[in-house]
Amino acid sequence: MTPSSRREGSQGKSPPPRPEELLLVALGAVPGALLRWLLQADPLANVLGCLVIGIVSVSKPARPRAMLLVGIGFCGSLTTFSGWILALESALGRGSMSGVALLLLELVAGVLAVLTGRGLAGRLARCRPRLRR
Amino acid sequence: MALAPLPPPEAALLVALGAVPGAWLRFWLVNQLEPRLPRRHWGTFAVNLAACFGLGLLIAAGHHERGRAASALPLLLGTGFLGSLSTFSTLAAELEASLRQGERRQALGLALGSLLGGLLALLAGRGLGGWLG
Repeated sequence: MTPSSRREGSQGKSPPPRPEELLLVALGAVPGALLRWLLQADPLANVLGCLVIGIVSVSKPARPRAMLLVGIGFCGSLTTFSGWILALESALGRGSMSGVALLLLELVAGVLAVLTGRGLAGRLARCRPRLRR
Repeated sequence: MALAPLPPPEAALLVALGAVPGAWLRFWLVNQLEPRLPRRHWGTFAVNLAACFGLGLLIAAGHHERGRAASALPLLLGTGFLGSLSTFSTLAAELEASLRQGERRQALGLALGSLLGGLLALLAGRGLGGWLG
């Protein structure tokens, strides 16, 4: 990874978020959290969110608005780390090693879902290169 | 705990009302932390740990419930706010990016650090909450 591919403006202090950025994050966060709540299945929500973030993470040229709406807003709120840790803690508390193994597998599945999403996005981009700005 | 379960429209509203500030806080904190931390991934790590600590406090206060028809505070603070504050998809995307760049030790450190740090933060929050009464 070249230094220039890190977040822009990473030298010194970050500027405060702009209203437009906050609006995009909120517009993604509401459906994300509602979907997680309706599903009542955190592993499914987590792996689904990983797939979607994989798709948006490859857009070239980078599309910061899509990342704010879909990546940070929707996927960030659809998926939950605190819920995963709580499930892990209760599996450990019950002494359920199969439960712990399943939760560890969820993280592996999440990483594979990101990879799959990136692959899907690459294919989509090749199928319709003219549609990209 | 004595509150009756809410009917779905009000419950959905509470989840959404919690999700927006949760996602905003995550966005703001990651932007603030990343320029100050040696590696960019640790911004999300810190936010995830903070959410686990908050979940521990919520559990100690007796305000954690799962399910679509939970009462108001668990929906607003647990499912909405803390669920959206923490993110599993960014963690998975950062693990995938580290592995893709051949930084296996960083990926392993991030995975194990998140797991152990999350568990400790949850227990610390619950412990502090219990001690405060």
